[in-house]
Amino acid sequence: MFKRVALFLIVALSLILAACAQQPASTPAPTQPAAPEQPAQPTQAEQPPAKTYKVALITAQGGLGDRSYNDSGYEGLKRAEKELGVEVKVIESADPVGEGEQLLRSAAESGFDLVITLEYSHFDPLARVAPDYPNTTFAILNIAVEGDNVVSVIFKEHEASFLAGALAAMVTTMENNELVNPEAVIGAIGGTQSPGIDKFIVGYTEGAHYINPEVKVLSAYSNSFGDPAKGRELALAMYDQGADIVFQIAGGTGEGVFQAAEEAKRYAIGVDSDQDYIKPGFILTSMIKRVDNAVYDLCSRLVNGALQGGAIVEYGLKEDGVGLSPMTYTKDKLPAEFLTTVEDLKAKIISGEIKVTDITKQ
Amino acid sequence: MNADTLANILFASLRVMTPLLLAALAGLISQRVNLLNIALEGLMLFGAFFAVVFGAQFGSPWTGLLFSILLTTLITLIYAVAVVELRANLIVAGLAINTLAVGLTSYLLVVMFNARGAYSPAGLVSLPKLSIPLLADAPVLGKILSGHGVLVYLSWILAGLTSLFLYRMPAGIHLRAVGERPEAAETAGINLKAVQYLALLLGGVLCALAGAQLAIGDLTIFNNNMINGRGFIALAAVFFGAGKPGLTAVGCFVFGLFEILQFRLQTSTSIPPQLPQMLPYLIVVLTLTGISLQKALRKKRISV
Repeated sequence: MFKRVALFLIVALSLILAACAQQPASTPAPTQPAAPEQPAQPTQAEQPPAKTYKVALITAQGGLGDRSYNDSGYEGLKRAEKELGVEVKVIESADPVGEGEQLLRSAAESGFDLVITLEYSHFDPLARVAPDYPNTTFAILNIAVEGDNVVSVIFKEHEASFLAGALAAMVTTMENNELVNPEAVIGAIGGTQSPGIDKFIVGYTEGAHYINPEVKVLSAYSNSFGDPAKGRELALAMYDQGADIVFQIAGGTGEGVFQAAEEAKRYAIGVDSDQDYIKPGFILTSMIKRVDNAVYDLCSRLVNGALQGGAIVEYGLKEDGVGLSPMTYTKDKLPAEFLTTVEDLKAKIISGEIKVTDITKQ
Repeated sequence: MNADTLANILFASLRVMTPLLLAALAGLISQRVNLLNIALEGLMLFGAFFAVVFGAQFGSPWTGLLFSILLTTLITLIYAVAVVELRANLIVAGLAINTLAVGLTSYLLVVMFNARGAYSPAGLVSLPKLSIPLLADAPVLGKILSGHGVLVYLSWILAGLTSLFLYRMPAGIHLRAVGERPEAAETAGINLKAVQYLALLLGGVLCALAGAQLAIGDLTIFNNNMINGRGFIALAAVFFGAGKPGLTAVGCFVFGLFEILQFRLQTSTSIPPQLPQMLPYLIVVLTLTGISLQKALRKKRISV
């Protein structure tokens, strides 16, 4: 009997801990009490008070404080509050995946005009919840969900990956840079082989070949997003095969790629947020998704009455939704014309002169 | 393929096999007392976690290693009490340890460092690499065998010691006796429980080393997914080696070699990546099937 109880306790304890682990340690960030602290608006005089729009942001797994995806979204929301005067609220949950439906419903019932969810897995409950609240507009990121009052936000990662590939192709044949070898070989490591990941790799490869068709692009998949040891081995194997720049699209596995870059004295390229600071000088650049800009833009569309339900909004280079990091630690080592060329290519992609393949649309 | 590439592949294979070998030795010793230790995965994760946390706290990977061994062994003791004393089901208790490892480490990361799932403290350095005198200058061989991390060499020594322990030392012989003929061992006055505790706790120490090798051997990072099934591959290596340390090490090396080869296959050919990714696992499954077939055939021959 005792052993059964003990066993049960161990299992129960571990499950409780597993659940607790996702809970933010600090109390959820309060919505800014803003109003009294804000400087008097110069426009407040004659105009009748316009409708104050209410926006809720549901954070994804990881929650606020991740110094990446969620925090970036929150930045955009704070900017919208300050510049557009919308009323904002952040909704955090210990288990945003499991509680998806309740979170969406309670947000909609609280009378928000716009509910933005950063949690990818909400695509499933959102399709059920949205039709019940026709007066609320929902927005979801990184996936297209159908519905008259659902806005889907898609980032054109392939466009910024093209720039990363172009820069890598220029750097790989550079002379007088101790992190670069004579061979024109670069690499990319993906977490899994899937259209969502290949979107980055195909754009990267196209960018590299646009600059120099002779550049060889090695690509491999780690089949995991949380195994840094494997990421390190994959990157070291690529460096050994002549690559001097490796683009990681593999989450936590990618941390091993950065450590390998430092160890082998070669370059890596970061993904999603500005990761250049992780190994300063060894991360050439990062392909970043501007979640903040997307959240801000959604709020601005709401205020301007330009928010169309049932639409897919794409944020690319043109909208400043994706881009390269400012290269804080590596810019000085690169010739100015490389950066000019990147800017040039960016202008050409924006103008439509260069078309980057989006593999998810094929 | 030139000599340099070959040397590089073999060098990397030896590095990749190290956490597997350490965990496999842990699995092997428990296997020898008839305890199928499926908690290797979780114990390795604890080992990795304590190594990073205490390594960073005290600014030395050695302190990290020491604390990792102490605390992981302590957790192994809980597991051992459940299994030996309370006769808990091995599978359930092992699963509990594995779940607890992910849950507890994630929870502690949030509470202690406000970090989610991954922790890479600044200032933590990895364990040193050793250049073996004389050997380091040898052509090719020097490039394969010299320059590994300390735990890589330690794992080889421990594989040898395990063999010595099991076949030459009284405690080891008792241990085997308990596994093979428990009743006879008991009649001979061997304390069954003490031997089972010993086997599991030794395994705890080895798992701590295996986890530390992954977290601070080459990298300085913790991620709550970082063991990624290596504990179970190690268990497969034990079956591969039929409980013998030498053969088990060969099993780990074969897995490491094919893991490195599959990376290179992915980058140098255009076959779909899923095929090379399967390769190391396929080799394990095929060898295990081969071993069972051989055993079955031998049995048949004896019965005829």
